[in-house]
Amino acid sequence: MAPSWRLVDDLGTRRDAAGQMAADLALADSVAAGGPPVLRGYRWTPPALTLGRFQSEADVDRDACARWGVEVVTRPTGGRALLHGGDLTYAVALPPPAGAAGTVDATYRWIAGGLVAGLAALGVEAAVACGIGPGSAVCLVTQQGADLRVGDRKVCGSAQVRRRGVVLQHGSILLERLDFDETDLVTGGGDRERLRRSTVTLGELGAPTDPAVVFAALVQGFREALDVDLSLR
Amino acid sequence: MDYPEHLKYSSEHEWVAVDGTRARIGITDYAQDALGDVVFVSLPAVGTPVVAHASCAEVESTKSVSEIYAPVSGEVVEVNAALETAPEQVNADPYGDGWIFVVELRDPAELDALMDASAYRTMVEEA
Repeated sequence: MAPSWRLVDDLGTRRDAAGQMAADLALADSVAAGGPPVLRGYRWTPPALTLGRFQSEADVDRDACARWGVEVVTRPTGGRALLHGGDLTYAVALPPPAGAAGTVDATYRWIAGGLVAGLAALGVEAAVACGIGPGSAVCLVTQQGADLRVGDRKVCGSAQVRRRGVVLQHGSILLERLDFDETDLVTGGGDRERLRRSTVTLGELGAPTDPAVVFAALVQGFREALDVDLSLR
Repeated sequence: MDYPEHLKYSSEHEWVAVDGTRARIGITDYAQDALGDVVFVSLPAVGTPVVAHASCAEVESTKSVSEIYAPVSGEVVEVNAALETAPEQVNADPYGDGWIFVVELRDPAELDALMDASAYRTMVEEA
């Protein structure tokens, strides 16, 4: 029998940026307390710039963030600055399997299987890209442990933290671009053209961008590719 | 994969080198390999009390942020401040320059619950 997971559809739930991060940590805490693994989907209103767990605040142009109405929050996960608002964010919390299947790489790849299946249902042929590119203060320019790419362009970046024996992974699927991007918000944010060249949105790929449609596809992708029983609880 | 014989090991992939009433602690070769390139180590403060199996430090790699658990209880008496500027030592020399902190043991009997190199190797390789 497929293992039972909890599904949290927060697409319509308004929280500020700090509230979204607290909600993700609460997922991990619920699993640490013996609850079932969880998949949550959510969006960011207003837009928010999230910083990696140990990223310096000095990387942020606070005036620019205020000008664009962007909240700033530190993620519990690692990595670099990421702008949310035009994306769908997913979060997964689960106890890592014992042994080799529970390593960072293995859990990234396993979760990627669900994401790739979901994107495929939307007509997007994404693949896992492992490898580390040149460093940058901006997440989408720097290749992380397991990005999903279409060709050589990132469509989904993910980050992971392990706390209290639980894996919490969240990631951002690019739906559409906003009128501004990380290069407007990060000091020395770098080259806008490079950011644009290294990323691609579902909209640019001609795929659906309705968050509800995309999240439904992800849920189905997790059910089929990961053989988990996901239900709203 | 390297498993030095003179060390003790926790199931959470920390190593312990005992010297009298003090335990020097770091993460194992297996752990550093699984984490990938370490880019930041959040060290505990000297004087911090630690409890066996409770989180007391964090390591950020290019792939994840992971807690480090104290393999034994006691008080942090020394930390490897060199990791603040050279976190990559955790990868380059996990059992040497990549050590993370030293604990003054509260209960040396806790060491008996740790694994020897052979048991730890079995745990890692048979999992």
